[in-house]
This record gives sequence, structure tokens and C-alpha cells, in this order.
Amino acid sequence: MDFDAIVIGGGHAGIEAALALSRMGFETLFITQNLDVIGKMSCNPAIGGLAKGNLVREVDALGGEMARLIDATMIQFRILNKSKGPAVQAYRAQADKAAYSLLAKWTLERQESLYLFQDTVTDFILDTPGREIRGVITERGKRFHSRVVVLTTGTFMEGKIFIGEYSTSSGRLGEPAAVGLGKSLRRMGFEVGRLKTGTPARALRSSLDFGKMEEQPGDREVFPFSFSNERVERPNVSCYITFTTPETHRIIRDNMDKSPLYSGKIVGVGPRYCPSIEDKVVRFPDRERHQIFVEPEGLSTEEVYLNGISSSLPEDVQEKFLKTVPGFERIVITRPGYAVEYDYLNPTQLYPSLETKRIKGLFIAGQTNGTSGYEEAAAQGLMAGINAGLFLQGREPLVLSRVDAYIGVLIDDLVTLGTEEPYRLFTSRAEYRLALRHDTADERLFEKGYRAGLHGRESYEKFLEKMKSIGEIRELLKKRRVAERDTTRLVSIGIHLGKSFEQALKDPNIKISDLALLEEELAAKKQEYLRRVELDVKYEGYLKRQQEQVDRFLRMENRRIPENFDYDSAVGLSKEAREKLKRVRPVSLGQASRIQGVRSSDIAVLLVHLKRGA
Amino acid sequence: MKGDYDKYDIEEPIAALATPWGESAIAVIRTSGRGVLEILDELFTSGGGKEKKDSKDTKLSKARGYSLIHGYIYDPDFKGESEKREIIDEVMIAIFKAPKSYTGEDAAEIYCHGGLPIIKRILDLLLKRGFRSASPGEFTMRAFLNGKLDLTRAEAVNELIRAKTDTARELAFQRLSGSIEERINEVKGILKRMAASVELQLDYAEDDIDEEPEVIEKELLDDASRVREKLDLLRKSYRTGKLYQEGITIVLAGGTNAGKSTLFNLFLREERAIVSEIHGTTRDYIEGNVTISGIPVRLFDTAGLRRSDDPLEMEGVRRSDRMIREADLIVYLVDGQEGLSKEDQGFLHRRGIEERVIPVWNKSDLLQPGENPPEGFIPISAVTGEGFEKLVEEIENRVLAGVSVKRGEPVIDSLRQKELLDGACRAVEAFGNALKEGQPLDVAAVELNEALGCLGEITGEVTTGEILNSIFSRFCVGK
Repeated sequence: MDFDAIVIGGGHAGIEAALALSRMGFETLFITQNLDVIGKMSCNPAIGGLAKGNLVREVDALGGEMARLIDATMIQFRILNKSKGPAVQAYRAQADKAAYSLLAKWTLERQESLYLFQDTVTDFILDTPGREIRGVITERGKRFHSRVVVLTTGTFMEGKIFIGEYSTSSGRLGEPAAVGLGKSLRRMGFEVGRLKTGTPARALRSSLDFGKMEEQPGDREVFPFSFSNERVERPNVSCYITFTTPETHRIIRDNMDKSPLYSGKIVGVGPRYCPSIEDKVVRFPDRERHQIFVEPEGLSTEEVYLNGISSSLPEDVQEKFLKTVPGFERIVITRPGYAVEYDYLNPTQLYPSLETKRIKGLFIAGQTNGTSGYEEAAAQGLMAGINAGLFLQGREPLVLSRVDAYIGVLIDDLVTLGTEEPYRLFTSRAEYRLALRHDTADERLFEKGYRAGLHGRESYEKFLEKMKSIGEIRELLKKRRVAERDTTRLVSIGIHLGKSFEQALKDPNIKISDLALLEEELAAKKQEYLRRVELDVKYEGYLKRQQEQVDRFLRMENRRIPENFDYDSAVGLSKEAREKLKRVRPVSLGQASRIQGVRSSDIAVLLVHLKRGA
Repeated sequence: MKGDYDKYDIEEPIAALATPWGESAIAVIRTSGRGVLEILDELFTSGGGKEKKDSKDTKLSKARGYSLIHGYIYDPDFKGESEKREIIDEVMIAIFKAPKSYTGEDAAEIYCHGGLPIIKRILDLLLKRGFRSASPGEFTMRAFLNGKLDLTRAEAVNELIRAKTDTARELAFQRLSGSIEERINEVKGILKRMAASVELQLDYAEDDIDEEPEVIEKELLDDASRVREKLDLLRKSYRTGKLYQEGITIVLAGGTNAGKSTLFNLFLREERAIVSEIHGTTRDYIEGNVTISGIPVRLFDTAGLRRSDDPLEMEGVRRSDRMIREADLIVYLVDGQEGLSKEDQGFLHRRGIEERVIPVWNKSDLLQPGENPPEGFIPISAVTGEGFEKLVEEIENRVLAGVSVKRGEPVIDSLRQKELLDGACRAVEAFGNALKEGQPLDVAAVELNEALGCLGEITGEVTTGEILNSIFSRFCVGK
């Protein structure tokens, strides 16, 4: 059977890749092992968070699905880091896991040109020289042909889970691993490594004593992740906070020898910043307690998620230490925590389009590239889908730069630096954060998504309308001056008499909502737009300063290195740099300068050689 | 982007005269690039030059690095009547093997006799045999490209060559050994720590961090002021660096017959070693170079200041006036025998003069016992040298006011570095202010980033063609 495109894997990356390809009009086959677990949240029941919330909104601006899925299924909403400034504020929502998963599946099913099929891919079909993808072969022996394949198998590729002494071939507790794919990738010459991640136990809500915990309710005011939603009306369910005790730590320490992490059974590298409770106890021996968030898994389940204590200790030990936590004394565990080890491909083997350098037409996205997190997966899935589509159309790939989007930071980091541990996006990974505010994601990316073919005419016009309205607000602020009559209604604006509203707004004590009270035309504008302009005005000086830095950055970024550049003939390069450059094959001097082991003098050498070649 | 930098290339054999173009006992021709030793082998024989090349001849390309080889340079294309080779010069050649050379490439230095026809013949021969004339700074550029020097050191190389006095040389040498880089890395270390602490705050949500924001903010502010202090020290050293590198101008002024020329000669005699006399083109002033406390001084003896109807003399006076306006210091001589004239008084109270002038009461040897010059005047006798020491001391005090050179402290003298330091300072200050104003951390962090960027540019961590061009094009050829 023939398709234009095949997407392997039904996780957050696969969903976005499949939707992007079919929305671009390509006949797309979506193959996954089990059609009932599409868009599953294997770990915590939440979408968003610092930097990740920005990713979700960027995915939305480009035409992805994640924001709409969470808007429709959230059961709590919060804005994080309200006290810390505009660039690092982020949306985070608790999800109803089952609802999210069902909606994801239904969305795929209703999508035109998209065909869902349950099977397990075990091998690839290549052209005779073995350089181009031609399709896939499944466990049941079926052969599907296509010109592009997007691989998004997550933790399932040769996945193996561990609980104490117990271990089994599995991608998620209770679900078989995808065996065979890792082998064929190795055979095709890919460098495949092992990573590890973990998840905590789930427990019955009714077995916990919330009286001993601190309640953490959601925000009253709820904002949609998706730019296409005006408002979100969803239930608001609380989370709870409790802490481990010295006794908890003692039990964990006493049983450390039973942990597969420390007994040497697990060879994969785990995430440093999202450590298991065993890691935390070992690495921070002085800490008397560690925080645990008790998060609901959904509205139609009694299960709760115990965020902060992922563990792969034996089940009886897990139960024993959990019972020492205030509020957990009578805990009933429904599923134990476990560690999972899986194959990943070091992403330096990919172009910034996420196409593999080795096999033309094969794109890889998500956890398979060594990332962690639903949002990181979705962002890559979307970009891989878009670029596979552009590849089919014979168009240039869409590569976002580090100043365009957090997605650009994510992918540039992956393909430039590679990763040796599960990669998580942090705000600190972005150099020019002020330019990457979540509320400006549409301004930055909508047009690009539209050009790629992911937005309809109607929503594009809506976007243009919004930009126009924002422009009008900016104009209005410039033109309107503080008048005598304003000072009677807002005393604090008196010192700005005669100045423009824009100048007055730079005063930390003046808010745009104050100004809207004084000017009907402003009041008539949408709150969301007003707030957006307010941030631009208040931080204008810093934004300008950052723009200068961005311009400098782009000068190096715009110096392209030809694809066939011969590093062996570039005399003067250090040995280490030459090796790294040959491996990564950076597309620009800017990217080259970010490769570890490449020194400034190596960049200078490249400058000289590039000029000579030009 | 256009400039000399475009011409730079690596590996290609280059050659240049490293000593000044002029008669001298010995001249040094420097070469570097791939295969330079093999090329030189074709032009070199260690065998006395009389016989034909034979297998016993020492091969430069086979010689060990850091060795010095004696022999003869000849022109292989030129055969004399008797089939003998025509020897151009007897030379010593120093061999350097990559990467253990200044440039990091194979290199050789040819020590030949310093006659101009010899130098020219050898250079012509090298060019004919595949060498290219090196561009200014090209040797150092290669050293940088091959990772042998960072930018501050590369700049120091140039300053070392341009150093006019021993102190300037010492300061440049410190830079060459990387003292600026070291100091900047120290500051960068603090800035990076600050950035890390800011990023930690930003990377985790409020609930995840134990540390109090107030404590962190205090630490950040303390660090910011420490960075400011350290950067300020370096910035201030720019004045010192400039002073020792470029020196100052002192003009001797005063009425006719006040004894200026006698004093001028006294200065030059005291500094016999570096004396050079340059006559003004219209004989209206004389220039001499002396060194005071390690500071190079251009000393000008000017035409006497007086009214005259002679157009030629008036022109001289006008020129003196201009020199006085531009001088760093003016030593104004009053003829002690004549006393203060109206012109003297007028001059000493002229605006823009007072703070630069050192009034001197000359011919103190002719003073009657018990007679003293007016207050503020330094009594000297340009004839006997009496009081001269005091005058020099006063000059030192004036020049060094507000400028200090602590031994071992790095001193910068490149304007590029100074401007980047200024930029870093401004950014750190803005960072502190932003925190104090209660600006959010993510916003303030922009300034930290800026400061780090400036410092990185000083040491060449941030490399753009523009920077390289501006630095290396200032070099002289042969470096």
C-alpha cells in the first residue's frame, strides 16, 4: 500500500507530525502499537510549565494541536513565576489524562487524509543504495511504502522497565516495547545510545489525608493556551503539597542496594534535573525534606500522581517509605513507580529540519532524540511533520532560529550539541528570552505556519485582524497625551501631564488598565492585546538592548557554511574542532561556534576559509 | 566586509623583513607557512658555496626545530661563468617546526647582513620561489588562527613592538603573558556565577526553590559592585597604558632670551641615550625625544613669544601658540634677571593655560643671596643645572597625578579593549540599577548577558571578521 508519508508512534510527537502532514494535504499513515493509548501522558498529568508553556503556545501558533487539546481537557490552570518577570512567566495546566488521550485520538480520526492503523513497525524499506527511505515493514509482515517516514517511538524502542529486582521488556508499564527497530537503525549505521527516565507511584485519592497537606488551588483567572480560543471554561481542581521526612530518607538509604539505578542494572543515563527520589537522597544528604505534589490524574478516576518522588525501588520499599510522608500514612498504591530504559539516537545525526543526515526522507522527533517532556516531543513532532511535508513539496525546510522561538533553541541545541542525558528545555537555554515571551508566539510564528499550509484562510485573517488591533493600541498610546481632565480621574498620572500615554506607561506605577479607564478607545480593545502592548512598552529599553544582541548574533548566524564544505582542507583547525565539525556539519558559523570543543580561533579559521571559497 | 583582513590566508608561504628597512649590521627576514623549509633548501647550502650541492649539505627541512644553521643563500637560477653558484650572502637560519613556532606553522628566520642590496636580493629571490610578501600583522594573525595567542595577547605583540620606553615595554610584555586575559577571566567568572544564580531563579517555579529571593538579590548586588571595582581598575589603567605607550608633549615657552634653548639642551643632555634632535621645518621650533620616569616625552623648544613686525617671526610665534594650545604640559621660563614682564604675566594667566603650566624662574645662579623668586616659580639655572631635578620631579608629579602603575597589575592600552570594558561596566551598572528598581530578574538578565558579551569580545571568544580586521591591520609587516 502506498502513502505520501508514514508516522510511526502515537505519542505527543506522532500526533503533531501526523496532523501537520495530513493538514498539508498528504495521504498519511499513522501506525501505532495500540490505538487506545494515543497521546498518553506516561508521567505527570500536566502540560506547560516554565519554557514548556512557551513551547505549547509556539506549537499552536505554527498550527499544531497540543494547546487546543489541553485547553479542552484541563482541570486546573496556573500562571507560574508571576513575580519574576514577563519573559519567564508561563502557563501550566493539570490535565484530565484520559480525556486528553481520547480527544487526541478523536482529533486524528476526524482528520482528512489521515489513516490510523494498529501494528508495530520493526524495519524500514530503503532504496537500493540504502540512502533513501521507501517505507516500513511491520511485525505482522505488512509493507507500507512512502517517500517520507517520521519516527516518533519515544521510550518504546527496545524499552525495558525496572522495579527493584523486576525488569521486563516494556515501553510503559503494561505495554510491550517495540523490539527490532533499534536493531535496524543500528544496522543502517545510526549511533544508538541508551537513556533512562523514571516515574513515581500512583495512589488512590481516598487513601490520602489531605488535612495534613497544603492545598494548592488553581488560578481564578484562566487563559487559553491556544490563540484560537477566546476563553476556557473548565473545572478547577486543587493539587496538594506535602514533604518527605528524615524517616523516608532513612528507608531509601537502607534499601539503596535494591535500586536498579545503583546496583548497575540500568546503564542508561537519567535526567539530572528531574532526579528520582533515590538520586535526591544521595545527592543532597543535608536536605531534610523533599517536596511532593499530589496531582489528580483526571476527573473520571480516583488515581493521583505523586510528583517529585519517582523511584525504581522494589514495590514493598516504595510502599514503606511513602507511608512515612505526612498524609500518606494509609496510602493505597495503584501502580508502582518504575524506571524505563530505552534506545535513543544522538540528535547530532539530524539536520536542523530533523531529517536524518544518513537516510533521505527519514525524520526523527520526540523522546527518540533524547529529549524528555510532552511539550518538547510535540514541538519536534510538529517541525518534523512540517519539514517532511515541505520535503515532499520540494520546498526549503522550515528552520526556526534561537531568536525565533524556544522551538528553535530546542532543536538547535539537539542537532548542534547532541545530548548524553534526557534533554529538557529550560528558559536559561534561550539567550534572548525577552524576545520569546509566550504571548508573542503568534506574532513570531503564525505567518510561518500559514505559509507552510497549517492555517486556514479564515484563522489567518483573524490573526491579521489581531495584529492590526495591537498596532492601533500602540498608535493610540503614542498619540494620546495626558490631559488635565485625566488627572482628576487618576491622580497618580499628574506628574506625566502633557506627556504621551506611552511615556506615562513606562512609569512602574501606571498600568495600561489605568489608562484604559481614561480613554474609551483603549477600553474598547481586548484585555489580552492591551496587556501584550503594556509589556512591550514597559520593557522597551531592555527589549532594544536585547535586539542589539540579537542583531550581533544573527550576523554570525547568517554566515552560511556550504553543505559540502571540506573541513579536512581547512588548515589551521584544531584536531578536536575538525572532528566535531565534520560530525555535526553546522549550517552556519553561528551554529559552528556553539559546538563544544570548537574554539574562537577555529571560528576565525573558518571565517578565513569561507571567504576564500566565496 | 572589506579590508586587509580579506587578504590574510593561512599556510601559504609568506616572507617579510622583520627588522627596519635600512642599513644595519644584521637584518632578519622572517618566513612562515607550509613547505617553507623545503623551498629554502633550494636556495641554501651549508657547504661553503664553492662546490656544487652534495649529499653532505645540511637540509633545512631535515633540521631539528629550534636549531640554528650556518650557510649561504644563493640564486639557483643564476649560474656564473665557471658553473659555480653565485652566493648572495652568508647567513644563519633559525629553524622552527610546527606547531612549535610563533605562528604555529613551519617557519624560518634568516639572519643576513644588513645591506640594502642584499636584503632586496634575498627578498626578491624568496618571492620568485613561491613566497608571498606578508601583510601587516600576518604572522601574528596566523599565531591567533592557530590558537597560539588570544586577542589581548595578539594586541600586546603590536604594543611591544611600538613601545618607546622600557616601562611601556614591560607593560606590553605583561599583556603578552596573558595578564589581561587572566584578569578578565576572573571577572567573567564572577559574572557567570551571577548569571547562573539568576538562571536558577528563572528556571524553577516559585514553589521549587528554597532560597529567599532577597538573599539572592543582595548577593547579586554585592557581586555586581565587586565586578564594577575590578573593571574600573582595568579601565583606569587605560590612561596609564596610553601614557606610557604614546607619551606626552611638553613645550618650553617664554620670552626671548629666557633661556629656553639652554634648558632644552639640558633635558637632552640628561637623556643622552635617547636623544634625537629634529629641526622644525621652518626653524621655528626644535623637537627632541626624552624619557621622564619611563614616559616618552616629545619636547619642543619654541620661538620666543614677543610682538614683532617681521612677518617671518610672526609666523613662528603663531606656530608656537598652536603648540602651546595642544601641549600636555608647558614649562614657562621667566628670565630671572629681567623679572616678570607684562607678556609673562599675560601668558601665565591665560585661560586654559594655568592648569598645564609649570612656571620656572631661570638664571637662579644670578640671584643675589637671600633673593627669592615669586611664589609658585621653580628656581633653576639652565646653565649650571641647579634646580633641574626639582623641575623634573614637578613634571613627573603633574603627569602621574591620578595615574598609577602598580607592579604586576595589568594595564590596557588598546582603545578597542577600553571601549569594551566601558560597555561591560555600563551593563553591570545597569544590571544593579534594574535590581534596585525592582525590575524582574529576567529583564535585568539582559544586562548580564551584555557584560559577558563585551568581555568575551575582548579576549576574542566572540570572533567576527570585523574585530580581526581592525586588530591585525594595525600591525607592521613582519609581525
